[in-house]
Amino acid sequence: MSYFSLKYLLVFLLAIVVVYIFTPKKLKRLLLLLASYALFLKVSKKLVIYLLLSTLSIYISGLLFKKIDDKRNIKIKGVDKEKRKEIKEKYKSKKKIILICCILFNVSFLFIFKYLTFFTNIINIIFSSDIKVLKLLAPMGISFYTLSALSYLIDVYNEKQEAEKNIVKIMLYLSFFPTILEGPILKYSDVKDEFEKKSKVTYKNFCFGVQRILYGLFKKFLIADRLNMFVKLVFDNYTNYNGSTILLGALFYTILLYMEFSGTMDVVIGSAEIFDIKLPENFKQPFFSKNISEFWSRWHITLGLWFKNYIFYPVSLSKPVKKLTTFLRNKINARFSVIVMSAISLFAVWSLNGLWHGAGFTYIAFGYYHFILILLGNIFEPLIVKILNKLKISRQNKVYKFLQIIKTSFLVVLGELIFRAKDLTTAIGMLKSIFTNFNITKINFLLGMDSKDYIVLIISIIIVFIISILKEKNINVREKISEKHIVIRWIIYYALILGIIVFGAYGPGYDPVEPIYADF
Amino acid sequence: MEKLIEILEGLNPEVDFKTCNDLVDGRHLDSLSILSLISEIESEFDVVIPTVEIIPENFNSAKKIWELIERLEEDN
Repeated sequence: MSYFSLKYLLVFLLAIVVVYIFTPKKLKRLLLLLASYALFLKVSKKLVIYLLLSTLSIYISGLLFKKIDDKRNIKIKGVDKEKRKEIKEKYKSKKKIILICCILFNVSFLFIFKYLTFFTNIINIIFSSDIKVLKLLAPMGISFYTLSALSYLIDVYNEKQEAEKNIVKIMLYLSFFPTILEGPILKYSDVKDEFEKKSKVTYKNFCFGVQRILYGLFKKFLIADRLNMFVKLVFDNYTNYNGSTILLGALFYTILLYMEFSGTMDVVIGSAEIFDIKLPENFKQPFFSKNISEFWSRWHITLGLWFKNYIFYPVSLSKPVKKLTTFLRNKINARFSVIVMSAISLFAVWSLNGLWHGAGFTYIAFGYYHFILILLGNIFEPLIVKILNKLKISRQNKVYKFLQIIKTSFLVVLGELIFRAKDLTTAIGMLKSIFTNFNITKINFLLGMDSKDYIVLIISIIIVFIISILKEKNINVREKISEKHIVIRWIIYYALILGIIVFGAYGPGYDPVEPIYADF
Repeated sequence: MEKLIEILEGLNPEVDFKTCNDLVDGRHLDSLSILSLISEIESEFDVVIPTVEIIPENFNSAKKIWELIERLEEDN
């Protein structure tokens, strides 16, 4: 299933919008839930049971946490500090047992469906065994809804989120049809109020939602799909090409991935916007980042935040890590202890981040590639500051910023090459070729694309670039368009629709990109 | 508060911590700076900052960080 398909946009989404308009206020949320489960059933059929089990497990655990918290609050009333601490500890350990069981329960589904084959193969290789490899079809969006489920569970456990009593809301939270397939990875606090408010389809919501969807379609059909043929040719037979063509292939893949994934997010956020439901953004002009850390706070934002909140800080501040860093602080210095602390937690984050993207060595290498880059950035930061001070260069200097952006983008492109390569040997071969067989005069531009394709591609990328600059300057492009005269507005909409129909890269000679993140 | 400002200035001398209200949201403090800050606060003020307290709202200004320290001292 793709959010770009006509079946989704013109049949499913449109039908839900029409029915939603005529549904009584009280039943609107239920309608969205029914639509979400209908879509899930259509794609994953009986695997819906796993979604239901995850939903029930976090719903019940949340209520149990609340019950324990309420009991604890009664017990600690009027007792002294020492006793209060003791009571709190006692009730916390009760909650911890439930938390661990529920995490294991949910993670085990993810492990079985996503990683069992991969790890069985590894065991077979290491021990020369012949364990039968089970190939299971995973429930739709399991990587996304499991992380959302865990975030609700942990937040309720930590009393950062109130336990939800209404199961319909929790069911909708995990299954909401625009987000189920590719995110954004939601925290319950992101959507609780959105699901509760009396939302309706207004002319403004509808126009804004459709506008956003059209922008997503523009990115996908005019840019991503156009680049796919070139990317496929280079990545499928890289030995046929020199290093410069391979680098161009990696650059095109990075652009393709951004346009496909951020374009999907435009469709997802636009779909929800039609129903007056505001979802969190997943991209914030990532190619304006000045270092890799910043890049990951602008690219797939909700995944980065999830890892930061539920892995990075908890690992950094866990008892064993704290013990080690206190020791290092006393024996060596504070800076070194913090570097070690961050190295341990970054290692955990990037191991899991790589694996989350897929059960394969290229994904694991992709994770560790970023781990090394971020760690090196942390280690050399004081040295860079010293050099900049000596050279009297400010970090706000425009040329310096520009060079930092170029450096970061280049490193990102190399990372995406590892990500896209069919295996690790291929990735290493491609990287080697870039650094040993690079000749800019011998780039083969005409792989699956002709000069007309390049004209459309360049104009489209310039349009996205200009919109990105405006967004970076906090100029709301959509508000600006909505302020224009109705004639101008509709000329823009029609131009966009016609542009997609006329210049979209579909039909003979093109190979559309499959939904990339849906496979994760 | 003076001590806290001193710690913050050691992390990023280019920021005016007395007036800045978007330390995290404006990326003046990244994850590594937050870890350094937590480590310094814990050793200087004898408090333990739990993971649940590491949210932008608690770290976006020196005032907010100070309020967090005072709250944790009270809890202790």
